[in-house]
Amino acid sequence: MQMESFYDVMRSQGVSRRSFLKFCSLTATSMGLGAGFVPQIAHALENQPRTPVIWLHGLECTCCSESFIRSAHPLAKDAILSMISLDYDDTIMAAAGHQAEAILDEITTKYKGNYIVAVEGNPPLNEDGMFCMPGGEPFVEKLKRVSKDASAIIAWGACASWGCVQAAKPNPTRATPVADVITDKPIIKVPGCPPIPEVMAAVITYMVTFGRIPPLDRQGRPKMFYGQRIHDKCYRRPHFDAGQFVEDWDDEGARKGYCLYKMGCKGPTTYNACSTVRWNDGVSFPIQSGHGCIGCSENGFWDKGSFYDRVVDINQFGIESNADKIGLTVAGAAGAAIVAHAAVSAIKSTALKRQDLKSLNDVQREETR
Amino acid sequence: MSYQTQGFNIDNSGRRVVVDPVTRIEGHLRCEVNLDGNNVITNAVSTGTMWRGLEVILKGRDPRDAWAFTERICGVCTGTHALTSVRAVEDALGIKIPDNANIIRNLMQGTLWVHDHLVHFYHLHALDWVDVVSALSADPKRTSELAQSLSNWPMSSPGYFRDLQSRLKRFVDSGQLGPFRNGYWGHPAYKLPPEANLMAVAHYLEALDFQKEIVKIHTIFGGKNPHPNWLVGGMPCAINVDDVGAVGAINMERLNLVSKIIDDIITFCDQVYLPDVIAIASFYKDWGAIGGGLSSQSVLSYGDFPDRANDYSASSLLVPTGAVINGNFKEIMPVNLRDPEEIQEFVPHSWYSYPEGAKGLHPFDGVTQPHFELGKDFKGRKTKIEQLDEAGKYSWIKAPRWRGHAMEVGPLARYLIGYHQNRPDIKEPVDALLGKLNVPVTALFSTLGRTAARCLEAQWAAHKMRYFFDKLIANIKNGDTATANVDRWEPRTWPAEVKGVGFTEAPRGALGHWVKIKNTRIDSYQCVVPTTWNGSPRDEQGQIGAFEASLMNTRMAKPEEPLEILRTIHSFDPCLACSTHVLSPAGEELVNVKVC
Amino acid sequence: MKPLKTYGFDNDIPAELGGRRTTAVYVYQAPVRIWHWLTAISVMVLAITGFFIGKPLPTLSGEASAHFLMGYIRFAHFAAAYVLAVGLIFRIYWAIVGNAYSRELFIVPVWDPQWWREFFYEVRWYMFMVRYPKKYVGHNPVGQFAMFCFFLCAVGMILSGFALYGEGLGEQSWAYRMFGWVISLVGGNSMTLHGLHRLGMWFTILFVMLHIYAAIREDIMSKQSMISTMVSGFRMFKS
Repeated sequence: MQMESFYDVMRSQGVSRRSFLKFCSLTATSMGLGAGFVPQIAHALENQPRTPVIWLHGLECTCCSESFIRSAHPLAKDAILSMISLDYDDTIMAAAGHQAEAILDEITTKYKGNYIVAVEGNPPLNEDGMFCMPGGEPFVEKLKRVSKDASAIIAWGACASWGCVQAAKPNPTRATPVADVITDKPIIKVPGCPPIPEVMAAVITYMVTFGRIPPLDRQGRPKMFYGQRIHDKCYRRPHFDAGQFVEDWDDEGARKGYCLYKMGCKGPTTYNACSTVRWNDGVSFPIQSGHGCIGCSENGFWDKGSFYDRVVDINQFGIESNADKIGLTVAGAAGAAIVAHAAVSAIKSTALKRQDLKSLNDVQREETR
Repeated sequence: MSYQTQGFNIDNSGRRVVVDPVTRIEGHLRCEVNLDGNNVITNAVSTGTMWRGLEVILKGRDPRDAWAFTERICGVCTGTHALTSVRAVEDALGIKIPDNANIIRNLMQGTLWVHDHLVHFYHLHALDWVDVVSALSADPKRTSELAQSLSNWPMSSPGYFRDLQSRLKRFVDSGQLGPFRNGYWGHPAYKLPPEANLMAVAHYLEALDFQKEIVKIHTIFGGKNPHPNWLVGGMPCAINVDDVGAVGAINMERLNLVSKIIDDIITFCDQVYLPDVIAIASFYKDWGAIGGGLSSQSVLSYGDFPDRANDYSASSLLVPTGAVINGNFKEIMPVNLRDPEEIQEFVPHSWYSYPEGAKGLHPFDGVTQPHFELGKDFKGRKTKIEQLDEAGKYSWIKAPRWRGHAMEVGPLARYLIGYHQNRPDIKEPVDALLGKLNVPVTALFSTLGRTAARCLEAQWAAHKMRYFFDKLIANIKNGDTATANVDRWEPRTWPAEVKGVGFTEAPRGALGHWVKIKNTRIDSYQCVVPTTWNGSPRDEQGQIGAFEASLMNTRMAKPEEPLEILRTIHSFDPCLACSTHVLSPAGEELVNVKVC
Repeated sequence: MKPLKTYGFDNDIPAELGGRRTTAVYVYQAPVRIWHWLTAISVMVLAITGFFIGKPLPTLSGEASAHFLMGYIRFAHFAAAYVLAVGLIFRIYWAIVGNAYSRELFIVPVWDPQWWREFFYEVRWYMFMVRYPKKYVGHNPVGQFAMFCFFLCAVGMILSGFALYGEGLGEQSWAYRMFGWVISLVGGNSMTLHGLHRLGMWFTILFVMLHIYAAIREDIMSKQSMISTMVSGFRMFKS
């Protein structure tokens, strides 16, 4: 059977070879790769059959799927029709029920070791996993079965990467990140709630184009998009360095686009490409639209205190405690104790001086006896 | 076993067909039906198969953060939970928002409606009506003629359809069918001619490109989509059109972009979406009498799009509010979300238990005690269920009732109420559509009626966005650029103990959040969401929910390929993450926490 | 110099300490004293600037290009941090080559019952349960323990501080490569580390308060010099 390559698709749409190579070079640039990669990209797009992708949904909200279809380059339709073969995705697939489940067996057998599993959401482990039971079985079983022969796993979004909102304290379903359940496969974490559309598309096209997983950082995230903090590339950074902040919503500073640090912006601790790639075809990103970053691509961002506080809660000291509250309390108590102690010391000292009419050594000898 | 309820004869004696997962929805849903000898559905069982627990997680948190948590209930209807949440918190704390914030929120909600309805129709629902493989045998020239006869949409040349068809052909020939793999192609229930199929496939792809443009309005005001940012007390995006620093705020360039997108939305709804629905519906007029379910009996809408800021009364709401029971559309009753006798939730067939058993609970007094227990006649084992027993507990969804009645919510419910209130902005387009299709008004009570109402509503919302945008411009012209009220931003300004209700009409129907705030922290938080209403399991009286009712008496052409079930269930646009987002760990005592 | 079995003493300074009827003993060598005061200054700068990094000063008006307030505050914080860190490394080196008292901060003889007895004796002294403290050439056991806690805290602040500093320098930086693991250690979200680092600041402030109070009080009440010792190096015994 003839496989339709990406190049075939483009030619059939009337794209010239020249334009095709231009596309390849743009792709290389957008991935942060040098011109030397252009022939490699072109070769891959010309010759490879599309890699099957199985997209599973656990406990989630489908924001990752929604984000993926927002991709502007490549367009979601081009990614789905020409770059990958999205053979299973409950959110958009035509088949349902038995016909849908049969696809899982077909792909995992026919493409053994050569398909990618993309996971949106995560498996709950409490109640024998029955808090998420597609097909009448625990999602965790389905995830393990389908992942067994995959070449790699993509953990889409904060849910699959870290646990996200259902894993926020007290995590009643014991929603568990994918990497804690699947331990024998390479896992690429693409965190965010959701991740940026073009980042999702770039990660998956990088994998099918180069046939390898992207270099990952310490926490398993692609370095190319998660290597820098939002703060590092934020266009409001000069206002931070200058000491110009939004002090209140809709104040003078807000209208002038000052730094949102005092409104709780988590840009300084959040690794993501929002301030560079921006959102929805580069239209804006949270800070540009006046709200601080809530840190949605960071592990456990739900449990770091209010989104509007900079000094974070420390949960071990109770839900409402943060370093400043603890510190002020302790320092205040210590200050009071010092004053009291000094006062007692002064009184005792005066009393002792009176007693010191006796020789010092006598007193001590009495005590040691 | 057989019994009568709500005019349906429930009989579970025939052959059982299970569809799990029901795909092209948000979340995880299972359907089981019994068929009689003529393959007519005599019993329908719908089951929510997931559970997350956000209300438990919300307890003890800062109410100003609640919008972000509840927004993550659903990424498809993204933003509507956040809007409901900030309204609930503002109601509790007595915060009044500026007019501009109200306008921007309405623009955000309108954006969501159009986006959600469009994506639902083209990407979740269309494949129930459109045979992709049949499009391969279409004549591009005749497809072009068909398209041009329907509207002035420019992408309609023979060459355009020929290119598309050849791309589709190469795609199919590759053998890698991707999302179209194992579809029900060639199923006898597909009725469209090849040319209409080809046109629909073209619009499937165009809509996929276009939907990402719609949401840019969310991105401008909320910073991103999915999951834009909101603010208790207004909106976080400051307006600055005149002064230094305008580039860091909503300025003329941003407003122009919003305006352009609104124009594009109106054009797409007028020239593509509505003509497509009319064209497809004209081949499926029989579906104007199938899948009506509860829509002819009991419908509910809270209303939305307040024209005046902070006024949530019926006179201010541009989307009508009201409830109809027993099919009496002459009497549209007012809805009060605070009345403990009106909205109540029941759990006899849901995987929860109440301390007082059968008694229904108002959301302010809700209780959640999960209780996973399969009916005695289920088949399979606990972690490999083959068939559920609807006589016992069978869903993670609770059963909400309005004055004891199971209700349908959503675009059709809203349109039926508006139509019978004789609202011209609703009645005129409905009558025009009915006239074009040459069907009676009762055809609204159907699967097709739901799909058509959703389309009309998208068009309505698109035009209302223009209305609100013009209001925003008028305000700015008059020097009013306020977007947030910070008088009660600091928790120290709050009363010790308050409670509040917020409501919206989500794309899928009536949505309410109930919050209690104690000592600046959330004491209890509960949501009753659209798919809880529509996907409700049975209650004590055996009353069935809207999904189940809508499947009743439908004849299936090929029961092993459940296209008819998908059509009707999809016409509701189910959102399961919404309906089943609450949970608590077994054995833990939870007071004032409730599952929707 | 040999370690002494007895840490404190009641009367005259033992001859082996060079006491021999003198009332002054050379305790703190010059590098230790310089280190002490450099650390004191850097901790003060770190605490003040650190406080304003977490809770910045009110907004400045005008163009961003006209100001660099946060930049200067952060610069001061980082510069002081380098002083603290390099100083601590030097101090550890000096603990090896310096006199016996230079090791007190780093090695707490918790294995020695005698040390514990004196520790509790000093606790009783601070709680007014005994009339006079023992005399120490170096630190009394309670003081020594507090110093050790400060040393641990300083190490924690340096590790967490340079990890956070590394985030600013970027993932390729030496600081991130050397200290980035600290962020992973606390769960991967550096918001947590910021919180702990700030808690460390408050601990340091607490230590400084107690340290200064105890020094002044001992100076007055225990008949041995404290503050001047850290200037001159000589401990004076006044009995």
